[in-house]
Amino acid sequence: MAENKKVLVVGGGMSGLTTAIEVAEAGFEAHIVEKSPYLGGRVAQINKYFWKLCPPNCGLEIQFKRIKNNPRMKFYTLAEVESIQGEEGNFDVTINLHPRYVNDKCVGCNACAEACPSYRENDFNFGMDKTKAAYLPHEQAFPFQYVIDAKTCSNDCMKACVEACKYNAIDLDMKPETVNIKVGAVVLATGWNPYDMSKLDLLGSGQIKNVITNMMMERLASGDGPTKGKIIRPSDGKEVKNVAFVQCAGSRDENHLPYCSYICCLASLKHAMYIREQYPDAKVTIYYIDIRTPGLYEQRFYWKIKDDPKVSFVKGKVASIVEEAGSKDVTVVVEDIYGGGKIKETFDMVVLATGMEATTKSSKVGMNIAHTVDGLVDDGALKKGIYAVGTIKNPADVARSVQDATGAAMKSIRSLK
Amino acid sequence: MAEEKIEAKTEAAAEPQVEATPAPEPFVGDIVTPDLKFVNEIMTGGGESLKKCYQCATCSVVCNLTPEDNPFPRKEMIHAQWGLKDKLFSNPDIWLCHQCGDCTAYCPRGAKPGEVLNAVRKLSIEHYAAPSFLGKMVGKPGSLVPLLAVPAVIFGIILAFLGHLNLDAIRNEAGKIAYSSLIKSYYIDGVFVPIFLFAVVSLAIGILRYWKDMKQATGAVPQGSILSAIGETIGEILTHRRFEQCNITKDRKLAHMLVLFSFAGLAITTAWAVLYLYGYEIMHAMGKTPYSWLLGPSPYPLTDPMKILANLSALGLLIGIVLVINNRLKNQEKAGKGGYYDWLLIYIIFAVMASGILAELVRLADIAVLAYAIYFVHLIVVFFLFAYAPFSKMAHMLYRATAMVFAKATNRDVELK
Repeated sequence: MAENKKVLVVGGGMSGLTTAIEVAEAGFEAHIVEKSPYLGGRVAQINKYFWKLCPPNCGLEIQFKRIKNNPRMKFYTLAEVESIQGEEGNFDVTINLHPRYVNDKCVGCNACAEACPSYRENDFNFGMDKTKAAYLPHEQAFPFQYVIDAKTCSNDCMKACVEACKYNAIDLDMKPETVNIKVGAVVLATGWNPYDMSKLDLLGSGQIKNVITNMMMERLASGDGPTKGKIIRPSDGKEVKNVAFVQCAGSRDENHLPYCSYICCLASLKHAMYIREQYPDAKVTIYYIDIRTPGLYEQRFYWKIKDDPKVSFVKGKVASIVEEAGSKDVTVVVEDIYGGGKIKETFDMVVLATGMEATTKSSKVGMNIAHTVDGLVDDGALKKGIYAVGTIKNPADVARSVQDATGAAMKSIRSLK
Repeated sequence: MAEEKIEAKTEAAAEPQVEATPAPEPFVGDIVTPDLKFVNEIMTGGGESLKKCYQCATCSVVCNLTPEDNPFPRKEMIHAQWGLKDKLFSNPDIWLCHQCGDCTAYCPRGAKPGEVLNAVRKLSIEHYAAPSFLGKMVGKPGSLVPLLAVPAVIFGIILAFLGHLNLDAIRNEAGKIAYSSLIKSYYIDGVFVPIFLFAVVSLAIGILRYWKDMKQATGAVPQGSILSAIGETIGEILTHRRFEQCNITKDRKLAHMLVLFSFAGLAITTAWAVLYLYGYEIMHAMGKTPYSWLLGPSPYPLTDPMKILANLSALGLLIGIVLVINNRLKNQEKAGKGGYYDWLLIYIIFAVMASGILAELVRLADIAVLAYAIYFVHLIVVFFLFAYAPFSKMAHMLYRATAMVFAKATNRDVELK
């Protein structure tokens, strides 16, 4: 097989994994470049995902198994694309590999982490807790391999880790590397970031402890999350008995994300379910502009949650959030459109249904990417042989991303010459 | 069996219909007939962004001037979209809005509620104007020339009648340029006093109609003393307390205050000048020696207290109106740029001030033809300002004050921070 009968997939989330696996299973080579130390992307952070409402592993595990079984697949973690040059059928790609300081001998015994004296902010849990500087990205991480964060691990810290490892798995001599590969097609699947709360000045600018994002809620509800799955509020660990959801926090807003992020309504409905399952006496209020649950399944899910008398829906967008001094409770102000008045309500915790922002807005992938007026990847303007898939070109749920990925696999194969 | 079932079903289906309570009365009344012509008028009058509104109610929450109960401007936006003229005109809300622009800045759709309400206010002035044709003319750019031609013709005829066409030779007894020699004050007052009375009567008719409509439509009966509501309103206007509530356009307070107080200063000056002239003339006519401080016909020395007040007010108004222009340009991105109607008043005030100050300077520089020409322009724009006050944005003064009084008297007031 010619060297360039390969597809490069940038991003190892659900869209990227699916594209790469489909390409490989169709008989071509697929290389995945993933920025973080694990594969699985945003899905790995979710507690339960639609439509089966099962934990992320029920989908990811199959994908990982398909990767392991396929000799035509290769993936790089802690890797970023430096440049993509050339044309359809013949791209030269330069990839930067960041050192992990842990080699393949790692068995995941946790001895290094136990010995490690330093801590780092846990970005997997959106900073809600800390891990040691020698850490496993998360409990189900694939590859199941520790990482040492050089930024927070000093020389002494590194030494402690090396001494603790019985398997010679820690290699402090690892250096940043550059890899050059030739591919015939490129699929961009770098996914999304939750919209930055600090930009939402009306909604507390990310400065209020008990105002969290929907993705933080997923981590709070996850068994391997910062609270071991107990939904408690960040300021004092109090059980939350009265929670508000602010829909369209940054979405459908020209000052932020002009488009509807598609998943947030379903996500908040699902979060209402998490809370109500955990606390039978808890109350949930969802403030919305329109509840958007397109599709039969989605609509039925909405009706189901709506039937819960302890979940109420108020039409009106929250446009002011303040923290109560002392109690750290959170007060929201909203016009109750059907009720006819401006109301103030105080809650234990407020969840912002922040939307999806294309990662290509904040990081480049070796080339300049044109965006639509909405700030999403303009896939029509991409060079021939380069494709965009999943949430960088349209906010989507997992199922739709997977469908799109299958299509992208097909398209990219046709670019191999 | 099957038949029975069907029968049972039909019965069951029919039952709720029988039991159902009749639809509540207001439902029938709420079926609206959209007034598309009116919608168009709003859109061409500066509210072209109207249809972008998707009713999220961010505006009502960020507004610091709206009452909590049935807040504005969200409901005004939907009323405007449907062209529900009466709902917009016959309540105090459109005038309680001071066009801070906070709603416009935070509007997620760029629907610019501040600008839309401004356009509705313009139409409201037009609606209550007496005679109504003048209301329509002042709002239309195409009518500007005929409106300016009216005073030009009137003063032109007076000049021709007096035969004062050899401008260079017109001097007073002291040999100085004197505008009172060009057109004697009796002629000036002969025009302006009726014009002033016309404006007062026209405004009074408009205000009374507005008050009657508000009473009828809201069903609210003013409680307590109207006088105390008027007192409070005047207090708020003088201190500009409502302007302080604005966030985006905070700097408007100083500019507007300067304009208002300078106008007050000029009003006092005018009364003072009337006293100087007519006090002198009356005493003279009665055969008495006029008091030495009654200076008689203009011009008056620059050191005279009346002249000092006049010049200070003129300068204040000029600075104020320049600040208004500056603020509008500075804030147009966030708060909206305003329409013809707004800029007409701003430019007329600017023209009044510029021509007034120039007339004085050129007179002192003793350039007769130019001085008289400028004075002629000054007369035209002053005429415009006063004669068309009931139809131009100038009328906001009384309509807004009336709305504030009504709101106070009917307990629909906002608690100022």
